Amino acid sequence: MASDLDKQLEQLKRCEIIPEPAVKDLCQKAKEILIEEGNVQYVDSPVTICGDIHGQFFDLMELFKVGGSCPETSYVFMGDFVDRGFYSVETFLILLLLKVRYPDRITLIRGNHESRQITQVYGFYDECMRKYGSSNVWRYCCDVFDYLSLGAVVDGRVFCVHGGLSPSIARLDQIRVIDRRQEVPHEGPMCDLLWSDPDDIVNWGMSPRGAGFLFGGDIVDQFNRNNDIELIARAHQLVMEGYKLMFDRKIVTVWSAPNYCYRCGNVASILELDEDLRQEYKVFDCAAPDAKSIPQKRPLMHEYFL
Amino acid sequence: MADDSVYPIHLLMDELKSEDVMLRLTSIRRLSTIALALGPQRTREELIPFLQDQLDDEDEVLLVLAEELGGFAEYVGGKEWAWTVLGPLENLAAVEETLVRDKAAESISKITVQISPQALDQHFLPLLKRLSGGDWFTSRTSACALYAAPYPKAPTEMQAEMRRMFQQLGSDDTPMVRRAVAKALGPLAKAVASVPGQKSLLISDLLPLYRKLASDDQDSVRLLTIPDLIAFAQNLSPEEVKEYLLDVMRASVSDKSWRVRYMVANEFVGLAEAVGENIVRDELVRAFVGLLKDNEAEVRTAGAGQIPGFAKLVDRDTILSRLLPCVKDLSTDSSQHVRAALAMQISGLAPLLGKDLTIEHLLPLFLQLLKDDFSEVRLNLISKLEMVNNVIGIERLSQALLPAIIELAEDKQWRVRQAIIEYIPLLATQLGVQFFDDKLGALCMSWLGDTVFSIREAATINLKKLTDVFGVEWARATIIPKVLEMGDHPNYLYRMTTIFAITTMASSLNVQIIRDTVLDAALSLSEDPIPNIRFNVAKCLETLAGVLSTSPDGQELIQRRIIPAVSKLQNDTDADVRYFSNKAMERTVGDGAEEPMVLS
Repeated sequence: MASDLDKQLEQLKRCEIIPEPAVKDLCQKAKEILIEEGNVQYVDSPVTICGDIHGQFFDLMELFKVGGSCPETSYVFMGDFVDRGFYSVETFLILLLLKVRYPDRITLIRGNHESRQITQVYGFYDECMRKYGSSNVWRYCCDVFDYLSLGAVVDGRVFCVHGGLSPSIARLDQIRVIDRRQEVPHEGPMCDLLWSDPDDIVNWGMSPRGAGFLFGGDIVDQFNRNNDIELIARAHQLVMEGYKLMFDRKIVTVWSAPNYCYRCGNVASILELDEDLRQEYKVFDCAAPDAKSIPQKRPLMHEYFL
Repeated sequence: MADDSVYPIHLLMDELKSEDVMLRLTSIRRLSTIALALGPQRTREELIPFLQDQLDDEDEVLLVLAEELGGFAEYVGGKEWAWTVLGPLENLAAVEETLVRDKAAESISKITVQISPQALDQHFLPLLKRLSGGDWFTSRTSACALYAAPYPKAPTEMQAEMRRMFQQLGSDDTPMVRRAVAKALGPLAKAVASVPGQKSLLISDLLPLYRKLASDDQDSVRLLTIPDLIAFAQNLSPEEVKEYLLDVMRASVSDKSWRVRYMVANEFVGLAEAVGENIVRDELVRAFVGLLKDNEAEVRTAGAGQIPGFAKLVDRDTILSRLLPCVKDLSTDSSQHVRAALAMQISGLAPLLGKDLTIEHLLPLFLQLLKDDFSEVRLNLISKLEMVNNVIGIERLSQALLPAIIELAEDKQWRVRQAIIEYIPLLATQLGVQFFDDKLGALCMSWLGDTVFSIREAATINLKKLTDVFGVEWARATIIPKVLEMGDHPNYLYRMTTIFAITTMASSLNVQIIRDTVLDAALSLSEDPIPNIRFNVAKCLETLAGVLSTSPDGQELIQRRIIPAVSKLQNDTDADVRYFSNKAMERTVGDGAEEPMVLS
């Protein structure tokens, strides 16, 4: 059993997909593990927090080179594993395999892209069709999305969430009563957690994204005080420098997709929390350019100019 | 049985009608199996005509079909019947998608070399005429690639016809076709030259075509004539090259389009090898210098890549007086791509210059490139230093480069640091203990505390290699104390380095050193509060036990100290610690109780 998973892990580390029946099995096992986890999963320090990956498989491998491999280093990934990059399938499957193989060493929480609607527009659906010839793998993965936690709390002090806060959630306990096993709704607390952004405003504001809200420093202050939280770690927004602390270091955006979409020119980062929750941000660049990292649209292009 | 024999082709027909592209692809890939089941005659009479009409499909499927048919001669009855495959391939050679057409042309060429001169005349020539005279540029483009392969075997009259048709394609209105002609001209020139007595035709029939294409008003056509130039030069005498090719060559070298000059620069060594030493000396040295000073960075980059290859073809004085000044300029070029290409190649000059000249002329350039702002430049240089090492010796190299190497060892880019670490054992072997301890020891230790995991990992591997070079006693006195110090670090990721280092170095250590130093450290970390550390201790103890088991003293240590610690870890509260300690116990004593992975 463990050795099967280890073999599949080796295969995926080479960026090779595993057969459809293996994906089906994997997703089934993953659901059995994820259903036991809370809407807000408790995580012990030390742990390394990561933001959006967006199918940039080789950059995820770079992340592990900088942060250490799993299970040696424990990880929380704050969602948006898929879409936009060229390797959403490989990226999500390797993270899911690690989850099944080492459930206590890696925590996956849901991002707004872990959704049926969004993945049909931004690439994951098409990639599954292209790589497997049918939508089955996409369906299996979307079923897993519905089981992912909505957030995590490290040592009760660091709240990890993909997007941000919600006007319907003053206390963490209010997240625990959400029935999360569903497609991401268009509004309401579950939607807000995955879609909202912090902004230099007072109180709440309309989000230009059309889902979730903007929230100001006072809201963060209040939330952290009410819940005895020292830091909110979230992802969801591209930060050119890899991470950005706001509101007197009470909230941080961690972004883990270097050179986002292979063109933004940004660096990425991960946040290492040690056993005393000291924060260390490791900044990293995209993987060394390699023929494999960005596939040609056509299988072969021999001529330089034609 | 009778039903069975119809079965394959019907199955294929059904599958090819399937909605599912994957299914259609798989069935096309199995085409040879079906042909084998049908036998040659039915393959010719049923399968081939059926495939002839299978053009209404995804390009992906057609591409595979085109490829499969190239190997089909054996399934239709061998060489005698190979021509029957040409039918469906002709259709494929006329479709819109370039990839499919290219593959079909490749397969047609494969078939044509197998069939007899008569069959070429009877079955292939009409096909070639149809494609060459097709209404759409697609079929005419495909036709160009079909001339070279069958030419040597074709009957003499057919050869004349083929040359005439090819020349005509060279005057085509569309640049797409002229590009295809330019691409196919080199191979055809070689084919013509290979036929005894036809060398003169090269000059009378094909050379005018080359000259015409080389002065085409489209630069995309002109740039494709550079490989043709090489092909002609290879098949003509130096006098003929001078007479017929020199002016065109000069024009290409100074073409107003940088893409043509890029192509010349990129193919320069091949060109120089083809034209012979007189022309190299009289013409190409100047041309090469010109390309290295070109206004376009792309051209200079391509030229820089050819430097050592070209330098091999000229004498040392020419390298010193003509090429080296350019190399100096390129080492401070404004484009980092040019400098990176140079850094990759410059070491190749060292064997050509010899020790003294390398020290005098190249070392200063190395130092400068090692200090380059762009990591790729530095990395490229370091990766090729061994060539220089062979010429001037490690002592000279390290004296000159050590300051620069130490600077790189602290580079911001972790890949640069990693490249340096990988170079350390080689330096250590040749520098000796004293020099190493003085100059590099502290550096090697500092990498153990690097912020990047891969560097910490590389640092532990480096320590193992150094132990192999300098011996275990040196390791005990110099590096092991530092390694063990890290075990008290407040951050688990750095304590992990201690465990990794012990595990990595284990096979280079002996029982005594394990007993006296590292074992205690590993055992005390088995009580670490962080489970990640504890399960890596389990892995580490497994490795240590492997080394210890080779001696009686060691086996006693395993029984007395390692087994109790591992069995304690087997009852850990953490599932991963239990998993890895069970595995360690199993490997160590051979009967660890297997605990299934806890999955939910």
